[in-house]
Amino acid sequence: MGIFVTSGNEISRRSFLSRGAAAGGVVMLGAGASTVLAGCSSGSSGSTTTTSTGSKAGVGTGKPVRGGTLTVGTIAEIDGFYPPNNHWDTNGFLYANTVYDPLMAVAADGTIKPYLAQSMSSNATYETWTMTLRPGIKFNDGSALTSAVVKANFTALKASPLTGVALDQVASVGTPDDMTVVYNLTGPNPTFPAGLTTQVGYVVGEAMIQQATSDPSATLTPVGTGPFVYAQWQPNDHFTATRNPNYWRSGLPYLDQITFKPIPDTNQRESSLRTGGVDMIESVDPTTITNFSGSGGSGYQLVDTSTGIIGQPSFAFIMLNTLVPPTSDLSIRQALAKGMDQAEVQKVIGGPPAKPATGIFLPGSPYYSDTGYPTYDPSGAKALVSAYKAQHGTPTLNLLTIPDPLEIKVVQVVQQMWEQVGFSVTVSEVEQATIIDDFVFGKFQAVTSYQFGAVNPDLNYVWWSTTTISPIGQIGLNFTRIDDPTIESAMLTGRHTTDQATREAAYKTVNEQLAKQLPYLWIEQYVFSEVADGRVQNFANPTLPDGTPQYAFDEGIFVPTQIWLAG
Amino acid sequence: MVKYFARRFLQLVVVTFIISVLVFLLVHLLPGDPATTILGANDTAHNRAVLFKQLGLNKPLFQQYFIWLGAVFHGNLGQSYLNHESVTHIIATGWPIDVELILISQIIAFAVAIPLALVTSRRPNQPIDNVATTGTFGMLALPPFVIAPILVAVFAVGLGWFPATGYVPFTQSPATNLHDMLLPSLAITAGSIAVYYRLFRSDLISTLQEDFITMARSKGLSSRWIMWRHAFRPSSSSLLAAAGVNVGALIAGTFIVEYLFALDGLGYSLVVAVNQRDYLVVQGITLVVAIAYVVLQFIVDFVFTVVDPRVTRG
Repeated sequence: MGIFVTSGNEISRRSFLSRGAAAGGVVMLGAGASTVLAGCSSGSSGSTTTTSTGSKAGVGTGKPVRGGTLTVGTIAEIDGFYPPNNHWDTNGFLYANTVYDPLMAVAADGTIKPYLAQSMSSNATYETWTMTLRPGIKFNDGSALTSAVVKANFTALKASPLTGVALDQVASVGTPDDMTVVYNLTGPNPTFPAGLTTQVGYVVGEAMIQQATSDPSATLTPVGTGPFVYAQWQPNDHFTATRNPNYWRSGLPYLDQITFKPIPDTNQRESSLRTGGVDMIESVDPTTITNFSGSGGSGYQLVDTSTGIIGQPSFAFIMLNTLVPPTSDLSIRQALAKGMDQAEVQKVIGGPPAKPATGIFLPGSPYYSDTGYPTYDPSGAKALVSAYKAQHGTPTLNLLTIPDPLEIKVVQVVQQMWEQVGFSVTVSEVEQATIIDDFVFGKFQAVTSYQFGAVNPDLNYVWWSTTTISPIGQIGLNFTRIDDPTIESAMLTGRHTTDQATREAAYKTVNEQLAKQLPYLWIEQYVFSEVADGRVQNFANPTLPDGTPQYAFDEGIFVPTQIWLAG
Repeated sequence: MVKYFARRFLQLVVVTFIISVLVFLLVHLLPGDPATTILGANDTAHNRAVLFKQLGLNKPLFQQYFIWLGAVFHGNLGQSYLNHESVTHIIATGWPIDVELILISQIIAFAVAIPLALVTSRRPNQPIDNVATTGTFGMLALPPFVIAPILVAVFAVGLGWFPATGYVPFTQSPATNLHDMLLPSLAITAGSIAVYYRLFRSDLISTLQEDFITMARSKGLSSRWIMWRHAFRPSSSSLLAAAGVNVGALIAGTFIVEYLFALDGLGYSLVVAVNQRDYLVVQGITLVVAIAYVVLQFIVDFVFTVVDPRVTRG
């Protein structure tokens, strides 16, 4: 679970890193088509507690009750509702699932299923994808969902500096009739539909696009097809949406109203839940799981992402720059890995005992393998440092972090560990707003971070590709500047192949190669959790329009459509 | 008197102008810029140049300043680069929270500090005075970020008397509003109580040793009459000065309470904007708060002239 758990800043950093992948150019390149992602689930959706009545947390029991208002305490605020312009992190997707619907969605078994779309299929070479839209769907302003609207969304997304790169591989979009959209790609991509489960797959009404185009500085009111209709948004205070009486999914939603309240402090968010100020909270703080487990969780339902991940989870880690000394030297990176006691660092972070982290996948994933990631070995680390010292002198490095109390505690412990094996380590704090610049410009030696949650490993291509490396001082999305043709080749194989066995082998190679090259020193899985009052039913048990179970809890994101409040 | 206030008003205008320049420069001296937050992973040189042009950040700094100042004079403080919310709206929704927090906390602080000082100053170094002095000393050592979680744990989670978070505007429901705002206000009250009590007690003790008080006593006036009629007013000038300065500090200090109690006040909005390099929001809020502060000092100066007319002769 994560560092970056106590600060309100954490969300904007997560937005950049985690969902940045979606917005940063890889959305359309990856994820998986229904056939090729089917084997990606490592369990059921989310880890859950069992309530006092014996039912599974987040899964509704009894007959759904209509009406009521659900208030959710969120970690932070979003910057807006417009997919082409705004950065959607967990909260962004929560808001989006409230007022919009995606074209495609991830099912609980990892397959990609239609949502606003009725069907999606490709030609034999996977270069042309044809989508048929569901008939009769209307936006909350009364306009109809047509292929022209989807194309208008595509045009706006493609023109945006934020999301345009994500659509680079789409050469053109055709609309042969009102309900059919044809995506012509620049090359084959069997995993194309999964990209439409992300930010670029949410469809807004044409009126919203027109408003954004005519007045780029306007505060946009969402026009969507979603289960709820925008009522009021006061940034940093609350966002309220009311039931969409004309929602296209018959009989849904159950709630009359939903309100999201940003409460940045974790303790206060938990207190608000316990005092009835909110009905449900989200958290990335591992102590939330501890606090709401056992007797502390009596009367509450806890769901977290410690298990049941589709694809790969987010991980907390220390990122090493492979272009600047001394971390450019593989033996130094090995020494740093062997000199860091992962289990001790996990204890400092707190929360329930975390599993050892040896790569980007968890046991249970089809891509998981024994990576050979170095175990804690201070003697081995000392030997490597001595060898380096004989040639270059004492290795000195700066460990960078943001001014967050928990992160500072973590880096201080790591600093002590590394100094014990012969490094000279300084610790620096850099403000949230500037540390991201340090990432992209490569101005760091070692820095704490977290990243990589994705339903398909290909979504992370950009961070490890040899094509996104830049010299220090120039913008490069391969932050660590890891230059490994084996990783590049395996990532491309994973992207293009339609054979699951080949895909699994490719991503195992990537994982093992990362453990050899050590651009990241893993700390632990970054776990998202939701805790709800006993009255809140079914928040972790959504179904897709075809009735099959939906992936409930991707990176802490829930779907409000089928939630109800018990009487 | 008129000349005195004219001079003070002129100073107010000059100070406000200097503050506007400083705020503008300081904001632009901060490392980083809004492009990082807005563009995220697409923060390329080209996209950055396009964005800077859109936001007018490619213009020389002095030109940006005068464009902003011109707009301010027309009542337009700009809008957030990130969510396009108007700065005027952010301030309009935020200021009632700050004002209420400060107002309630100051009412509580005066209500506790003044009677306590009146009682203990008549019995200096007696047990009641020692207890009160030690207690307020302890309060001074407890910052809001320590007091707030304790208040929440005891009065919200433990006893369930107050909500842990929540805010309803006063105009919507005065009773609920006061109920919601009591804990956050209490969290910033302790320091004020300590300062006001100690200052007022000390001034009262000093005043009670003056000859005119001895004269009043010799006339057989009651202690209560002497305290309220003769000692209170001459002892309150330090209290008034401290209140003026303290309110300024509270404007800055409400951030942590707003953060902890999830109140969308100006302090919280300001810190969020600083972290995101949302220049216009930072400039707008800082300017308004600075003006509010200097106006407040102006009012305090005016009240001083009522309490002690000698100040206008300086």
